[in-house]
Amino acid sequence: MHPRTLPSLALLLSGGFCFAAPPVVPGLHGKHPLDETQTGRLLIGELRCAACHEGMDASNMKEAPDLSNAGARLTREYMEKFIADPAATHHGTTMPNVLAAETPEKRAAIAGDIAAYLTSLKDGPAPAFPEGEIDPYDGKELFHSAGCVACHSPRDEATREVLKNGVVSLSHLPGKHLPAALGEFLHAPLAIRPSGRMPDMKLSKMEAHSLAAYLEGENKTKPAPPAEAARIDAGRKAFQAHNCTACHQPEKDANTPPLAAKPLAKLDLTGGCLSEKPGKAPDFQLSAAQRDAIRENLGIKRDEIAANDRINIHLTRLNCIACHVRDDFGGVSPKLDDFFHSTEESLGNDSRIPPPLTLTGAKLRPEWMRKVLYDGAVVRPYMKTRMPQYGEKGLSDLADLFAETDKLEPLVELAPPERESQPQMRDGAHDLLGDQGLNCIACHNYNGKESPGMKGIDLMTTYERLQPTWFYQYMIAPAKFRPGIIMPSYWPQGKAVRTDILDGDTDRQLRALWDNFSLGRSARDPSGLRSEPSKLVVADKTVTYRGRSGVAGYRGIAVGHPGGMNFAFNAEYGSLTAIWKGEYVRVNWQGQGAGDFAPLSPHIQLSQDVAFLNGAEPPSVWPAHPVVTKEAPVNPDPLYPRNHGYAFLGYSLDTKTSIPTFRYRCGETLIEDTTKAAEKSLERTFTFTAPAAETLWLRALTGDIKAVSETVFQTADLRITVPLKSATLRPIASGGMELLLKITLPKGKSNAALGYELLR
Amino acid sequence: MNSSAKFLAIAFLSLPVAHAEEVGERWGTADKEREFYPIVDVPIPQELVIEAGAFETLPDGRIAVGTRHGDVYFVSGIDDAKPQPKYHLFASGLDEIFGLAWKDGSLFVTHSAELTKLTDTNRDGTADRYDVVSDAWGYGTYHEYAFGSKPDPQGNLYVALGLSSSYHSHQLFRGWAFKVTPEGKSIPIASGLRSPGGIGFNESGALFYMESQGPWNPACSLKHIKEGGFTGHPISFNWYEYAPNMGKAPEVPKSGSKIIIEKERIPQLEPYAVIFPYIRMGRSLSGFVIDGTSGKFGPFENQIFLGDYTQSILVRATTEQVNGVWQGACYPFREGLSTGILNTHFTPAGNLICGGTNRGWPVRGLKPYALERLAWSGKMPFEIERVTVTPDGFNIKFTKPVAEAEGVKTATYKVTTFTHKYAQGYGGPEVDLTAPNVKSVEISEDGLTATITLDAMTKGHVHEFDLRDLRDRDGEELLHRHAYYTLNEVPSSK
Repeated sequence: MHPRTLPSLALLLSGGFCFAAPPVVPGLHGKHPLDETQTGRLLIGELRCAACHEGMDASNMKEAPDLSNAGARLTREYMEKFIADPAATHHGTTMPNVLAAETPEKRAAIAGDIAAYLTSLKDGPAPAFPEGEIDPYDGKELFHSAGCVACHSPRDEATREVLKNGVVSLSHLPGKHLPAALGEFLHAPLAIRPSGRMPDMKLSKMEAHSLAAYLEGENKTKPAPPAEAARIDAGRKAFQAHNCTACHQPEKDANTPPLAAKPLAKLDLTGGCLSEKPGKAPDFQLSAAQRDAIRENLGIKRDEIAANDRINIHLTRLNCIACHVRDDFGGVSPKLDDFFHSTEESLGNDSRIPPPLTLTGAKLRPEWMRKVLYDGAVVRPYMKTRMPQYGEKGLSDLADLFAETDKLEPLVELAPPERESQPQMRDGAHDLLGDQGLNCIACHNYNGKESPGMKGIDLMTTYERLQPTWFYQYMIAPAKFRPGIIMPSYWPQGKAVRTDILDGDTDRQLRALWDNFSLGRSARDPSGLRSEPSKLVVADKTVTYRGRSGVAGYRGIAVGHPGGMNFAFNAEYGSLTAIWKGEYVRVNWQGQGAGDFAPLSPHIQLSQDVAFLNGAEPPSVWPAHPVVTKEAPVNPDPLYPRNHGYAFLGYSLDTKTSIPTFRYRCGETLIEDTTKAAEKSLERTFTFTAPAAETLWLRALTGDIKAVSETVFQTADLRITVPLKSATLRPIASGGMELLLKITLPKGKSNAALGYELLR
Repeated sequence: MNSSAKFLAIAFLSLPVAHAEEVGERWGTADKEREFYPIVDVPIPQELVIEAGAFETLPDGRIAVGTRHGDVYFVSGIDDAKPQPKYHLFASGLDEIFGLAWKDGSLFVTHSAELTKLTDTNRDGTADRYDVVSDAWGYGTYHEYAFGSKPDPQGNLYVALGLSSSYHSHQLFRGWAFKVTPEGKSIPIASGLRSPGGIGFNESGALFYMESQGPWNPACSLKHIKEGGFTGHPISFNWYEYAPNMGKAPEVPKSGSKIIIEKERIPQLEPYAVIFPYIRMGRSLSGFVIDGTSGKFGPFENQIFLGDYTQSILVRATTEQVNGVWQGACYPFREGLSTGILNTHFTPAGNLICGGTNRGWPVRGLKPYALERLAWSGKMPFEIERVTVTPDGFNIKFTKPVAEAEGVKTATYKVTTFTHKYAQGYGGPEVDLTAPNVKSVEISEDGLTATITLDAMTKGHVHEFDLRDLRDRDGEELLHRHAYYTLNEVPSSK
């Protein structure tokens, strides 16, 4: 499906920058912790110096985009323009101009050749739009809330970028990608740019394509016609001759070793790429400050870098510091603050601003940190800004570095508590969490259930995520770890405010909470937590749901018709056992609950014994189903239905209405049993298929039955209409009456109908 | 010392203890495992609850997922690099699905009430016909779950039925296994089940089910189901009169004995083939599947992969038949899944899909339900590929050649053994610990197999291997250094 377009978007975007600008590493434009040497080190990685110069630091080198499918993704016009002058085409790019020394005419010709060559590369699927409506307004909303603005400029109503410095401009996007290619890239950017400088923002396909539609406007590009073989060949040669292969290896089988530039030891730090006029060297359009930082780094003797400095370089390189504070650097800048939002803003800034990374290595268990970094684990669904995924490659050491650097020392050592105190501790935790205690659940979800108040972080994630020492110190003084947090201290100066729970002992209270969180899903719900039953809803089609039920036995089936007439069928014994009008059923999917159902409105209970018997005469006593009790729990008559000729065969759902037709047997006779609903009544139709003529008995009703006419009988709340000349009303020895219907079947097919009408 | 100081250390020091009582400590290998078998979340749309209990591959390559809520979804796109699958609701309203099998153009669903055949007769993409294939068992407490197998080559399906409330047999055939023939006949084939977690075949077509720790079961175990057999828990003997094909009820085992002793006395009794040391190798193992991916999933072709509910982990098992009795070993494989694993399945691309829930019982994983996909990264992990028995020791096969230096030392192969009592009480400790001496070791020419001989082979004992000192030829240690072989029988030397 092609995207809807934002009015006049393409027009407004077509301007863009037309002057060259130095490469932008967004993290270096914020409140970063790096000195000049470290800045130089970072730039050397981002600009891939080691790709050409031997002896340079090649660790964490940014990988260049994968061009193996460039022909299916990018327009030839864009590539031509970009190659001829990268910095002027894409403001802030780290791609150097490798043709800077050529004359303008020659430069254009070579760029054209290379673009022709790249256009011929199609090693992968052609990008395609997902099904559904792509809305650039969704993209606009995402762009300004998911975190894109940490590295790219926010846009005004006319979609113009409002920031010029320190951001990677996206004004070059219109015309760059073939249709659907930008959306596909945004959906899985690491597939093309594995180093995560453009991270995976966990966008769904629709989100990615909506964002693309916002960023590039209506995409009217068309794939270029195939270039002549000679031009492609010339392009391939130029690609190698200008050492593009030092960074890009688009052809698996045609890998060419990069042309080596001078090794580090022989470099003139004022010449080549580092001179103001690079001449034949690649021209990165470096600023004076960038050149100085690189020179500074190359000039020093390289020792092992301290763990904390390595963290700082990681955080700056990936611009984590645009969102996260660590120690005295980083954090959301005032000009971006307005783009950080939450669905639970009453929880304060901590609901909308990503958490600080100060002491994070002492806070999070390393395995949890890895789940956040690499697997996309999320515990703050209310935060609109998304934690990007940078890929594991360049980041695999980060969790270890944090663990090595961040320490929070426990003070003394004591033996674990005895086992006997556990029930008391569990009760204590239960009391503390609930609305009669500290009411933690007023601001926190709990065990997958929503808080009745603000829906803060699920407390049950505590144990999986946090380290115990941090947990303890944080609980005593939350604001010490998160200045401005609205979480109060319930143990100010280490003294418990609830002196009536666990003797007011701070240690035991916190210990009890910690242990409680370790129980995971088996922990009890605290008092005050809402536990909404799951309701099944009937819309425009009949719903059939199976599960055990007090109203229909273990093999119960609930049928809800549109309009609110519902009934339950005991499939084990073949009887319609309950009727009600109103809402359908609630089902128990709490705890171990195995989906048992109960009517949501008052129901009329009917007998659960087998409904049909065959034989010339009915038995003098209708056979009752076996009953188990606590005292005698073993089923005394497990073959009861079978011994009375009953077998359940299944059901079919009507194609249009989804109304079930139950199929079962009484003896050799097949019975098909279906219903139609009216306002307050049900019409039940039986179709019999008998291999030989026979007589069936149907017990249609039990209880305090009155005969209204020969075919109409009723109890206090139900009226039933039966076929002519079929009914026998007889007393039951144990009390009440039973209505038996004699159904005389010819060989082959025949029908009968019953009407049920609710009297209340 | 102030009171706050005290707690810090309590929490800090007692962490493993507190954890051990609930779900057990981690192996601590998740970060290394990630390199070889990364876990990818398979997103579930917000409006759906998919507590997967069973999987099946459909003829068109989609994966059918049966859920505890009783729905069947057909899912496409699970194998995409960054999956964003489509979920198509094929059927709903069933009762806790723990078995799915595609056969003869229909989907056979084992759920608590029945084995039901679902058919889309009008080909509109959703099931419109629900046929009872078997309801030969009673159903009278919510905990009476039913687990279904895939079809065997003859088209039979097998159903494993849990006990009433997992302790009793109050309803017909609770604690039994059934064979359901293509003609629709339901034949009771074994008694003695307690609380199954899955049922299926090993690579040679022998029928097994996963049993949980509890009465008469000292730990979770993989048990062979032989027709006419008894798998260990005698509470279900009351239904033999309803199963004339099974003959008389077996003798009741002596509580507190050893299974290896009782099996000599009770011919119907099948000892567990592979027992999973409690906590160390899972606490509630569940559905299992054979790696038939022809190498797409790495070096463990034809092995059994099992999920654990409590610990959110995956383990491996291998089986072999010795003197007519099944036995074998289990091995750690992958930890760090996000929810309690109820079942696993190999996709057409050779990835392992895992699903489940953390509702109702203690689970390490945090998500209320999840689908996750494991793929082999293509890198070869250094692992114990499998352990097999010889008359006087074991062959230990590795995935990579071992380094000569450590490989040839007998001291590298630390073997200890233990067994359990076979008793009515819940679970049971590891007892009768021994430490046999490794007399000799021989490394095969290709470096892939170590043949060790022991000075004693103790029948009925789990032989535990700890190869922490072993290295491959790059100096790497084993990704998982343990294996646990359940020695029911020792082959005779020729």
